Amino acid sequence: MIDFIVSKYNYWIYIILMMIGFYAMIGKRNLIKKIIGMNIFQTAVILFYVSIGCKKGGTLPILEHAHGHAGQVIQASSYINPLPHVLMLTAIVVMVSTLGVAIAIVIMIYLKYNTLEEDEILKAIK
Amino acid sequence: MRILNLIVVVITGAILIYGTMDMPGWGNPGSPASLHVSPRYITKTLEETATPNMVTSVLADYRAYDTLGETVVIFTAGMACILLLRKRRNGHD
Amino acid sequence: MIEQAPVLIVVIPLIFAFITPLIGWGKKELCYPWIILALTLSTFCSVITLLTVINTGVIHYHLGGWLPPWGIEYVVDYLSAFVLVIVSFISLTVAVYSKKSVEQELPEKITYFYTIFLLQITGFLGIVVTGDLFNLFVFLEIASLAGYALIAVGEEGAPMASFRYVIMGTIGASFYLLGVGYLYMATGSLNMADLASLLPDLYGSRVVLVAFTFLIVGVAIKMALFPLHGWLPDAYEKAPSSVSALLAPLMTKVAAYVMIRIMFTVFRPYFSIEVFPITTTLSWIAAAAILYGALMALAQTDLKKMLVYILISEVGYLVLGIGLANKNGLTGTILHILNDAFMMVALFMIVGAIVYRCGTREISQFRNLHRKMPFTMAAFVIVGLSVVGIPPTCGFFSKWYLILGAIDASQWVLAGVLMLSSLLNAILFFRVIEYAYIEPRNEHDSGGESLVVTSEEAPLSMLIPIISVTAGVVLLGLVSGRIISTVIQFAVPACF
Repeated sequence: MIDFIVSKYNYWIYIILMMIGFYAMIGKRNLIKKIIGMNIFQTAVILFYVSIGCKKGGTLPILEHAHGHAGQVIQASSYINPLPHVLMLTAIVVMVSTLGVAIAIVIMIYLKYNTLEEDEILKAIK
Repeated sequence: MRILNLIVVVITGAILIYGTMDMPGWGNPGSPASLHVSPRYITKTLEETATPNMVTSVLADYRAYDTLGETVVIFTAGMACILLLRKRRNGHD
Repeated sequence: MIEQAPVLIVVIPLIFAFITPLIGWGKKELCYPWIILALTLSTFCSVITLLTVINTGVIHYHLGGWLPPWGIEYVVDYLSAFVLVIVSFISLTVAVYSKKSVEQELPEKITYFYTIFLLQITGFLGIVVTGDLFNLFVFLEIASLAGYALIAVGEEGAPMASFRYVIMGTIGASFYLLGVGYLYMATGSLNMADLASLLPDLYGSRVVLVAFTFLIVGVAIKMALFPLHGWLPDAYEKAPSSVSALLAPLMTKVAAYVMIRIMFTVFRPYFSIEVFPITTTLSWIAAAAILYGALMALAQTDLKKMLVYILISEVGYLVLGIGLANKNGLTGTILHILNDAFMMVALFMIVGAIVYRCGTREISQFRNLHRKMPFTMAAFVIVGLSVVGIPPTCGFFSKWYLILGAIDASQWVLAGVLMLSSLLNAILFFRVIEYAYIEPRNEHDSGGESLVVTSEEAPLSMLIPIISVTAGVVLLGLVSGRIISTVIQFAVPACF
């Protein structure tokens, strides 16, 4: 039982983080709070991916003594999995871009209605 | 409304946690994610791409097309911000 | 050249989009011919690709020369080649159409508008052509980001509609990404074909079940399937005319394509039908979407808003065919991807042209519109007949296959829903046609006035795309048998 929890708890923490962000995205009425929630959600997804790449006993995915040791045998198990890191570099950029566009839209909304509360904006549009 | 949102969130979280039950444990070197595709990136990186940093070799060589997509995402976001926030030079409506 | 065509389809609009701002800084007017050139080349490449696929079979293109599953590959089979041609042709049509309406609605932002317009299309094409789940996510995000920006520059209230789309779209994309992560965790691969061969051993695994659920929910949000459609009506109604004409037909179709890919390529069909029986549920959700869309459309007085709800109902048709999961149903869905793209682009272009000339979308203001804009309204009638499903037009054939599919699956209620929705669509369109064509009888005093309405047809750059797409609607109906026998029957997953 303890082993089971120890081997899974990191995923559960990320899922709880995701759900905090998810709740803020759909539950909060303030636009900036929604954006903060979006960021928490996406960051938690990124943490989740990075934790897939982990290997016990593995080190950073950079070859040691790479140059001049062409004949060395490289063990896959001694380096952590680089692929999730690469995917998340892309996902981080996507996240930053989404954040940028979302904030640009919020600035437009604020300049027009002078408020960031969803109900007040909807009232102003009607 | 607040209750409804909370229910949606709890259900989503519960489904996700249900999925983790069958996952390989954290840091398990024998998990499929570590065995199927990635060993080639680790063992062949020097031979095939002459780069000791595996993240670099995957980012800029094996999966370079994703990286192109990534730069396009940034370009799109930049253009989007200009499109949304740029004002007319002479006065405003 | 020909062997590079699959990648050129995506790369041409991409490179042209990078250069568009430079051209715009020099001379703004050149942007329009520039994107027309880009999309013509891209359409040309996709037609070549479709012909190559018909002649020689599935194309695999390994980007950077890395073999899958290590590198990213482009896979063009019948289904993706078919959708590629639709996407590139429809976007070319909308690009031709966009000139006047962009000049009217966004005069000072033409350069950036067209840049993002091209990026949007790049995103769609990239989603369709790729054979890698993560690459699909990247292009999905390009398309979404471009969509957020294009919608936000619309009329009053558009930024708020766009913001809601950002929130919902991000939830959808994050769910999709989580699904990909779970699949990667279970298999260690991101390549669709590789996943398809690895997954059958793992169909009992809870990780795979959850991954499948999240992939489907994520795509359903992007597609605006009924209970998750909340962002769509406002966003597409308030977007600029040419943006609604681009997004409304394509975003939903591309998402439907992704759904077919996930359900029947990445997962084997027996998974979604038997192991994790989602198809029946999907078909009932789709039926609810069809009725909901049609009923909500009845309640609208604004033509564009009515079309937006018809679009939700059309998404229901697409998903219904997927949910039926038999040969006729899927033939219907794939044919409907083509037909509905044509019908929706025509309708949204027509409403854009009416707004351009009359400045109103209220159906009650459409008196004498058939005198004012005879060709546009004639096109509207023909496309309306097609949406209702009157035989010589293309809309009939896809509905016919969907009904056959429902009968094959012994789902009589679903067949009934399809018939009922045709009836509702008939009411919807005849209401508009009545306002536009039939002279008011009781207003004798205004009778003389209505005779002097001058013809004020939409400008040629709008009229030519509208007329050619309308001709396409009729023509596709006439040749739909041929389309099915040359392309669609091979596009339907082999085991049906």
